[in-house]
Parts: sequence; C-alpha cells; structure tokens
Amino acid sequence: MKKIIDWFLRVVVLGQDELQSPLTVPKRYMLFRRTLLLVMTSIFLIPLTITSVLSYYQYKALIEKKETTNLLWNAENTKQSIETLIEELQSSLILATNIYGFERLTDQEELNKLFQLLKAQYPGIVDLGIINNDGIQQTYVGPYNLKGKKYSNREFFQTLFVRKTHIDAVAMGYRNVPHFSVAVSFPTSENGNVGILRTSIDAATLSQYVVTTNKGLADDIFLVSYQGRHLLQTPSRYYGNVLDLYPVDLLPSRNKVTISEEASEGGPPMLKAMAYLEGTPWVLVLVKQGFLYGKDWSDFEKQLFFIFFMSLILVLWIIQHTRNLLVRRIHDSDEKREAMFIEMEHTSKLAAVGRLATGVAHEINNPLAIINEKTGLIKDLLKFSDDFKHKEKITGLIDGTTDAVERCKVITHRLLGFARRMDVALEPINIYNLIKEVWGFLKEEALYRGIILHMEQGESLPPVESDRGQLQQIFLNLINNALDAIEKEGIVSILIKPRDQDYLQIDIVDNGPGMPQEVTAQIFEPFFTTKTDGKIRGTGLGLSITYGLVKKLGGDILVKSILGTGTTFTLLLPLKYQMHRRSTDGSESPDS
Amino acid sequence: MAVKVLIVDDEKEFASTLAERLNIRGFDAAAVYSGQEALSLIRARDIPDVVLLDLKMPVMGGIETLAAIKEFDPAIEVIMLTGHGADCSTNDIQKGRIFGHIMKPSNVNEITEKITKAAAKRSAGGKQER
Repeated sequence: MKKIIDWFLRVVVLGQDELQSPLTVPKRYMLFRRTLLLVMTSIFLIPLTITSVLSYYQYKALIEKKETTNLLWNAENTKQSIETLIEELQSSLILATNIYGFERLTDQEELNKLFQLLKAQYPGIVDLGIINNDGIQQTYVGPYNLKGKKYSNREFFQTLFVRKTHIDAVAMGYRNVPHFSVAVSFPTSENGNVGILRTSIDAATLSQYVVTTNKGLADDIFLVSYQGRHLLQTPSRYYGNVLDLYPVDLLPSRNKVTISEEASEGGPPMLKAMAYLEGTPWVLVLVKQGFLYGKDWSDFEKQLFFIFFMSLILVLWIIQHTRNLLVRRIHDSDEKREAMFIEMEHTSKLAAVGRLATGVAHEINNPLAIINEKTGLIKDLLKFSDDFKHKEKITGLIDGTTDAVERCKVITHRLLGFARRMDVALEPINIYNLIKEVWGFLKEEALYRGIILHMEQGESLPPVESDRGQLQQIFLNLINNALDAIEKEGIVSILIKPRDQDYLQIDIVDNGPGMPQEVTAQIFEPFFTTKTDGKIRGTGLGLSITYGLVKKLGGDILVKSILGTGTTFTLLLPLKYQMHRRSTDGSESPDS
Repeated sequence: MAVKVLIVDDEKEFASTLAERLNIRGFDAAAVYSGQEALSLIRARDIPDVVLLDLKMPVMGGIETLAAIKEFDPAIEVIMLTGHGADCSTNDIQKGRIFGHIMKPSNVNEITEKITKAAAKRSAGGKQER
C-alpha cells in the first residue's frame, strides 16, 4: 500500500520538488501528460466499470428472479390443473358407486353402461372393474381379460379398507402397457364388507394432459412417483421415458412448490420446480434450462458491452483532447511566465540604470547651477563696470563658460527626463517635442549611419495626457528599431496626426528591407527576434516591452510591412489616459 | 516698490549669488539656506512677495516648507526650483499651490520674468482681497 502511495505521489503529484528537479522541459511535459492520462482515465473508468459490473449483476439477478417467478407460477398452475382432473375422476367414481350400488355394479350389463358413460367423459379410461371384499375382480369391462384376477395382496386393496380413494403409480401390471389406476371403495352391505370400483387410465393420456397444461412454458415437464423407487410417470425430455428411473433423490417440501437450481452437464444451470400433487403418488417436476441464454439476457449483454466500449472510446477521446489542451495552456502560460520574469529583470535593470543616471544628473545639476550663477554674476558685474584692459575678452570667456553650462544642462535635463517610473504619472505631453527629445539621444548614431529623420505633424495637435518616461521608452524602442531595420542610409519618417477625437496616431515609417507576414504576425511576442547575427543579437523583448507599455497607457500598436519597401509601426495613443478618464467628467482640460 | 524675493536653497553659493544678481536687477532679494530659516523669517513678519524654493533640501524639504509657508500666508507666491520639471507634480500647479517651477541651472532672464509675473499675480490677488 505504501509503495502504491509513493508511486502515486511520485508520478501523479507535480509538486515543488518536481519543478525544481533537473528535468528537461519537454520531459516534464511528457511526465505531466502521462500523469494526466493516468489520473483522468482512472477518474472516468473506475465509476464506469463499477456501474457496468453492478448493472450486469443486477440485471442478471432480475432475470433470474423473473424466471423463478414464472416457473413457480407455472408449476402451481399445472399442479392445480392435474389435481383437479384427478379429483374430478375420483368424484365421478364415488358418485357412480352411490347411484349404482354394489349389486348393480356386479351386473355386467350395468357395468358396461357405466363404462360407456365414463369413457364419454374421460376418453383416457381403458377399463373398469369391481373388486369384492375378498380381493377378487368380480366384474370387468375392458380390453384385457382380468375377470377373476386376485388383488387381495396388492397395496391398493389394503389401503382402500382405510381410505376411500387410492391412486396407483404408473405400472405395467397384468396388462403390460403403462397405466395408472384410480380406485374408490364403498360399502356393499351392512356387515361392513366393502366393494372397490377401479379404473385404469393409459399413461399416455396423463402425459398428454401434462404437456397440454404446461403450454410449452417449461423446457421439460413430467411426473415422478415418490413412493419406493423414483420412476418417471410421464416421459421427460432430459431423463427418459415412462418408468425409467429418475436419478435425482431430492424431494420437494410438503404443500408448496420448491425451486432449486441444478447443475447440468456442460451447460448453464437448470432451474427446477417440484411439487407434490395432493392425493396422488406423484411429484410434478418442471425444468427450465439455460435461462441465461434467453434473448433478453443476450440483448442486455450486447447493449452493455456496446455502451461500455463506446463510453471507453469517447472518454479516451475526450481525455486526449482535454489533456492536449491543458498541456498546451500550461506550456503557454509557463512560457509567458518565463517571458515576464525576463521582462521584469530587463525592466528593473533599466530602472536601475535610470535611477543611477537621475542621481548623477541631480548631483551635477547643483554645481552646474552655481557655475551658472557665478558666471552670470561676473557678467552682470562686467556689464555695470567701466571698461578695463581685458573686459571684452573676459566677457567672451564668460559667454563660453555659459554656453558650456548650457550644454551640460541639456544633457542633465535629458537624463532626468528619462527618470524611469514604474507607475504611470500623468501629465500633458506634446508628442512632437517628446519625439524630438528622444531623437536627441539617437541622432549621433543616425548621423553616423547616414539615416535622416523626417518629422511631420498635423495642424493643432492636442497634447496627450500620459506618462512621459514610458512614452520616451516606447519611442526610443520604436525609433531604435527603425534604425536597426535600415542599417545604413535611409529615412525614418514620423507622422503625427489626430486619429479621431480620442486618439492620436503616430506612424513610424522606415524604408528598410521590410518583413514577411510570418514575422510581423509574431513580432510583439516575447523572445521573438530577427536580430540573430552575433553583433547586435536582440533579446526579443524590445517590441514586447513596447507593446506592454503601449497597452498599459491605454493605446494600441500595429505593424504593417512590405518586403523591399519598408515597415510602418502605427501607434495609437489616447488623448486622455483610460484609467483617468473614468474618474473625471471629461471637462478637465489636459492643457495647462 | 521693489518686489521682495526670498531665495531658499541649501546650496549657499547658488542662493547668495542669485540673490545678488536679482538685487542688481532691482529686486529686493534675500537668501536663506534652509526651510526653517525661511519660516522663522516669514513668521517674524519679514514677508516676501515671492519665494524661490528649492525642492530638495536636507531636514525640511521643499514640499514641507511650501506647506508651512502657504499655511502661514496663502498669498505668498512660491516658485519651485527643481532639477527637472517632472519632479514637480503638475497637480501642485493646477491646485494653485505654486506659481510655477524653474529648472536649475536656469537663465536669469527666465527667473526674473517668472518672478515679475508672480508678483503681479500677488498684487492683483491682494487688491481683490481688499
């Protein structure tokens, strides 16, 4: 058990350990796929199998019960029917003895008449005879010559002194034809002597009656004698003919139908119903064979297996698809996460550089201001003083110093302008001026590479309410990209115009080699780079960071490229920052 | 009457030199080197028309000093001296807490122009008050 749990934990649970383990990435996904298959298949298949097995056995039990009930009902009906037949026959005989009396019955003529009457009602009757108190056949009607035969030592003769009726089991008797006899005793005179009216009935008649009563509901139906040896009283499909030995010892319980299951040779179990027939020496036996081979059952089996296998296929198909989808999603999100980490690292690196630059600029600014003021004061003093020898030269020197300070100031202000902020700090920005500022950083390189900037702006451009630092980074990235695309000698055109009343559109057009569609389709994806040659190998993050910044500022960026003609990046910037717009009524002017 | 200007900056050389240059240009300028000094001067009823206030100072920063000055007399116009415009939130200008800002190092003409405008605003406001 512990082993199983360990295995489960190892294979199924993808925990921290697993993530830290030195697995190669594809192997980890493979493991994950295998685990998913295992877990999901188990989740689906265990209940499916349990349900199928349960319904298999439940339906089996139901069919068994139905068969049993049917057989029981069948046996009871047949039992009642045969009992009624025998009772009727006995009643008829008793009635005859009451009407005729012993004297008349010993008259051959009278007995003939009675035989005809009975034969009309019960065609199976073979003969009819009267046996006197001494056991001698006194009168007889029938195909055999039995007159004068002695029955005093026969069992039925003894019994009839005690009981009024008796039925003999099927036997050959004197006649050598299987038959059974029904006898009734009746008083002959006042001295207590009895007479016996006895009739024989062909066993074939009984067989026919039994078979007819059953209407073919059971596979086999027959009577067995239960006194002495168990002999078949009617022919059986499985156990032989009349008077063959019935090999089963089992006897039913009194007064009710007994159902039992019995193994049959090489086949499914047989269902057997047995019942005593009241007032007879017989046991009724019904056999239903192969109840599990019925149509209901085989249909059910087929349906069950069909449903099971269809479900299995469906489940496996669904699992396969879900698994692929899931793994793909996780793979994508892993990739995004990784990209985010790298982007964060990159951004924080930039931020650190930015902070350093800002710090340096601030520190330099103060002494610069002092130089500025001191030289300014010298100039002031010179201006208000009388002429002296080197006044003009000194004034020129001071102007030179002031110019140098001015240049330093431009640099420090530019650096401070790039003070990077992680948060969006809004201010109204003139995009044209901002791009000019950014160009200031790049123009030396552009000049060196022979690239010209061409800027155009629409009339009365509205200022954009946005974050200066982030916009600077966006334009720095985009213009830098354009320069890299051109490589040497070309034109970068920047066109600024209002898109509509909410957006400003800035097109950054280069006349570089352009890009094929496959490249433009994924150009904003992290780690996608075309700068593969060793010298200027890109991180593949520049445009993805730019894209992220543009989105953060509520804008949008599009790219269009024609091979051999150039590439255009179109930037759409909201005039009012999206987040900000929601909290104001729009009446506030971004201009100040 | 000359416009009374108070320059508050911890860079003594800068503050004093600038004060001198402003005085040459006909302003009544004085320099102090911390927020506390500026406040004690103002509290001693030596009230300037315009204050040139450095944003970054040790102990008591520009924003803190601005709040204290405005609390004492909201009519005093304050021009912030900053390293960069972005350091000074546009909100302060929009709210009217400060008149404007000047980036260091700056041209003296720009400074005098701004001071004159601020003084004009102060006297106009004062008249309205009366």
